[in-house]
Amino acid sequence: MGRRALYELDWSDYSASSGSEMDQKLSQLVEELTTSGETQLNPEKMKEFKKICKSSDEHINHAYHLLMTQLNKEHAEIRFSAFQIVDELFTRSHQFRALIISNFQEFLELTVETDHEQPLPPPKEVAHKLKKAAIKSVQDWHEKYGEAYKMLSLGYHFLKQNKKVDFQDVNARTLAERRREEEKQKRLENINKEKAKRAQQEMAEMSREIQDTLTEMENCFRLLMPDPFDFTVNDAELEPVIEKTANGGEPASISMQLADCQPSSLRHIDDEQPCCSKDLSSILPCLKADKNGDMNEELETSDRRRADGEGCSEVELAAATGDDDYETFVRSHGLGSHKYTLDLEISTDIKIHENEDNTSIINSIVDAHKLIGNKFLPSVQLWIQSFTRAGISDDRLRCAIDLKNKLESALEKHKDMNIDYKERKRKVMKVSDDDDEDEFVEVPEKEGYEPHIPDHLRKEYGLDPLSLPKPVGKKPAGGSSFLSSRSQPKRNEEELDPTCAAATLKLLRDKLPQFPLLDPSVSASTEPTASGEPDSKATKQEEERVKAPIMPFGLDLYYWGQDQPTAGKILKFSSQHRFWAPNELEEEVENKEVSEMLKTRYITFAGKFEPVKHKCRAPMPDGSLCERQDRIKCPFHGKIIPRDESGNPVNPEDKAREEKLRFEKQAQQPEWQDPEFMREVEAATGVDLGSSRYSGKGKKKGKKKKYPNLTDLKQQANTARSRLEKKVFNKEAMKRVVKAMNRMDRKRHEKFANQFNYALN
Amino acid sequence: MLGFISARQAGLDDPLRLRRAESTRRVLSLELNKDRDVERIHGSGINTLDIEPVEGRYMLSGGSDGVVILYDLENFSKKPCYTCKAVCSVGRSHPDVHRFSVETVQWYPHDTGMFTSSSFDKTLKIWDTNTLQPADIFNFEGTVYSHHMSPIATKHCLIAVGTKSPKVHLCDLKSGSCSHILQGHRQEVLAVSWSPRYEHVLATASADSRVKLWDVRRASGCLFTLDQHNGEKSKASSEAANTAHNGRVNGLCFTSDGLHLLTVGTDDRMRLWNSSTGQNTLVNYGKVCNTSRKGIKFAISRGCNPEFAFVPYESNIAVYTVYSGELITMLRGHYSTVDCCVFQSDFQELYSGSKDCTILAWVPALREPVPEEDNEKSLPLQSLNPAYEDAWSSSDDEG
Repeated sequence: MGRRALYELDWSDYSASSGSEMDQKLSQLVEELTTSGETQLNPEKMKEFKKICKSSDEHINHAYHLLMTQLNKEHAEIRFSAFQIVDELFTRSHQFRALIISNFQEFLELTVETDHEQPLPPPKEVAHKLKKAAIKSVQDWHEKYGEAYKMLSLGYHFLKQNKKVDFQDVNARTLAERRREEEKQKRLENINKEKAKRAQQEMAEMSREIQDTLTEMENCFRLLMPDPFDFTVNDAELEPVIEKTANGGEPASISMQLADCQPSSLRHIDDEQPCCSKDLSSILPCLKADKNGDMNEELETSDRRRADGEGCSEVELAAATGDDDYETFVRSHGLGSHKYTLDLEISTDIKIHENEDNTSIINSIVDAHKLIGNKFLPSVQLWIQSFTRAGISDDRLRCAIDLKNKLESALEKHKDMNIDYKERKRKVMKVSDDDDEDEFVEVPEKEGYEPHIPDHLRKEYGLDPLSLPKPVGKKPAGGSSFLSSRSQPKRNEEELDPTCAAATLKLLRDKLPQFPLLDPSVSASTEPTASGEPDSKATKQEEERVKAPIMPFGLDLYYWGQDQPTAGKILKFSSQHRFWAPNELEEEVENKEVSEMLKTRYITFAGKFEPVKHKCRAPMPDGSLCERQDRIKCPFHGKIIPRDESGNPVNPEDKAREEKLRFEKQAQQPEWQDPEFMREVEAATGVDLGSSRYSGKGKKKGKKKKYPNLTDLKQQANTARSRLEKKVFNKEAMKRVVKAMNRMDRKRHEKFANQFNYALN
Repeated sequence: MLGFISARQAGLDDPLRLRRAESTRRVLSLELNKDRDVERIHGSGINTLDIEPVEGRYMLSGGSDGVVILYDLENFSKKPCYTCKAVCSVGRSHPDVHRFSVETVQWYPHDTGMFTSSSFDKTLKIWDTNTLQPADIFNFEGTVYSHHMSPIATKHCLIAVGTKSPKVHLCDLKSGSCSHILQGHRQEVLAVSWSPRYEHVLATASADSRVKLWDVRRASGCLFTLDQHNGEKSKASSEAANTAHNGRVNGLCFTSDGLHLLTVGTDDRMRLWNSSTGQNTLVNYGKVCNTSRKGIKFAISRGCNPEFAFVPYESNIAVYTVYSGELITMLRGHYSTVDCCVFQSDFQELYSGSKDCTILAWVPALREPVPEEDNEKSLPLQSLNPAYEDAWSSSDDEG
């Protein structure tokens, strides 16, 4: 066996002896395969690689060493690819297996992360993938070769028992991760349990209340009307009632007597037909109306529908001539067949109107409904949720679900009841209105004055603030449109403002009961404007009024047009002494600022925001147009000017200006410093000529990356944090900061040097 | 081999010669054998191993969870494949189990009916092997790092105990009390060992980087303290005077003849001392990686021509020749730090315990049949395991 002899070959011997191009090819292939950065190996190259390895054990040896070097690289992608190659070779060559297993500890460290001091290198995702794949492979290998290679099985057991790798677990989580997960789970469980406990407690407290509310609601429903769904249950009670009405009534007794003449018909009357009106009506059509009158409407309608009312009399006539018992019965009763069923249609769309009798009941229903809808149902749902989360499925949960069902059915019933709240609602609103503005209650009375207003003054009254009670009194008046459009609270606010019309109105209204006629002063103030001005002016004024801004009340308005005697005067005591005071005393000092303040009013005028609709649209180097939407000036392209489709200025002067700018820019950069050319020169000589300065966004490729396909770890490390760190923990910066702090300390020291307690530090 | 046998037959050689040659050969061919396994019971790292010296059949192991397990190493199954069974154990459920890590176990040197174990729970327990009940318990003030019983003593029955305190305790099994206290160290005593040559001589190694030899009959002090510089440099620096290592000394082992003493320290050195003069023999073993804070147990072969030392070296076991300091080989197999190893001198087997909860048996490889010309064809059939075969796909395109 030649191979065994080869095993003994020392590695150094081997590498010295075979310097063939095969070796070079091998190393090249390994490098290419591992630095591809792809998750899958290139099958072509792999094939070639395997072919070389197959040729001799020397090559396997060589490949093993190459692969171990690659596995040692601090890049998860390289490791991952190398591992894939190892996996391929492992299943094929005994020699390779022996080599790998002889150093299985290191292999595991590099792929499965057995040594926590040697974590897998970044990027993280690939490292995770590598670990997963490695664990899976180790398991596969163990299954296949575990018996033959002791180290392998030892390694497998080590992973399984010491590292607690769960080979079933696809996530390849470490023990710590699993523990963390468990802890989290446990914490969550505890929280849920706690919640459930709280819910239970709450439920214990509240279920009594809920039950009470439910019963209350139920009772209210029952009071309002008998339960339509209880009808069938109450059948037994209802039947005798009907029977009684049928038998007890005068027409019914007649019918009974009449029925005696035809005993056959009576024989067939069985109990299953609770409605005796059927046979009676068939025997005595004339009585039918009376009979039906006794019955409730439902019975009547259904009966009539069943019995084919229009054919009733004819069938009945035919029935009289029948001889057969059965047929006579059928015929004599005007029935088409013997097998009739009786359907009672009870209309469920009830509508309950509120009236004085049931107001209190409905009130309590509304309360209960609100309570259930707003409080009980959500909390019950919360309980159920917390119970299910905590995994409790015993009586507590059932109880909660029962409660929920009950509550829901109550709500359903309430909906079915279809209680007409309209009236009530309005009432409620009215009540609230009363609270807010009881002044308006008198409004209807005010309407009594309308007739007193002379017809020719009507229009002016409409305009005049004094006549504004009209719109308040719900009377549509043209002049009051601007007021009526506002909401009532606002009007309320206005009333506090004496400058506002509403306030005057209020004043007026207060006086109105005493003075049935218009207030003379008011009429005096209005009359000149009203009578003196022509209509056009009035309308104009009205328009202006509409436009006029509404201002909050201020001191300046309070003293509008008056001289303020104490305005801006400040009482000033020049002497602070208790007894001594100077004789000539100028106690009041006029402060101009204060007096100004009393007379001025600041009005902030905030304009309306108008979104910018235009774009800068200056042509960009990449051919697109600038998308910035500045109002006047683009920070990159200057003043925004109208431009055509391709971004060229429309106005000739703009065009000229831009042309000039470009020209100037070009002049700054000498012609020989063509960026392209310079870059080439730089690449050739390796001297930085500063080409990057000219090309703003030119691709600055300092040097070609060695393995362009691999994820750049440096790039990943280049985060905002790391950059900041570089700046902040820069040696110079640190020194500077220390210096500054020292200086500050020294200053302090100098300042307090003569105080012993500061002097020490 | 054949030469040795014929020479032996002819009576030319000392009988010892053949034995030595063969055992040396066997030690050199130690490997991780797939035929020999030790049952996996320990749930945590294994701190100590001991094989009884009478038959060499039973092995004790002490784990860092306080468990002590007794293995039967003998293979009576007449098959090459054998898993060493656990005969009995002092498990976690045992009422007298050590509460913390067991640091040392040792058989009573003259009988398998008794063994001792010491632990971090500050106790030393004397066990009756047959009932597996503690016959006696010694309590100490500090955690016990190591204890040892003289393998040859006939006149005394003392157990030397190294604890966290700098004093070395000597427990007398006869009286069941602590009879002596040896004072001299300044820090905890990590290893103790009786000389296999003189029954009253005791060597102790401490964290103060000193190794002292004592004659327990002399109460006044130690015989001498080992000095790594043999007294030359110590005149200059009193600090380094009389130190055996530049760090903690945590391993101690006499050669089988008791003439020399090997020590290992956390300065990653191993030193060989003349045990009668206390001289540093200045054998250079190179770096012996050692980071353990506790004592480590290493073994020296017995009955080989150059004697070998088996020293835990991280997750491997390094095999050195004792007197020349040559690193023979590294035994790779553990996946975590190796804490102890023990040599079975009758069959030249080595057992090692590690933090990865496994005990590995290192068994001499069988002599391979010499490949001959006519054997060439039958060999592939012999290579017994299909797993050893290559599995290249046959077609050339596949590779």
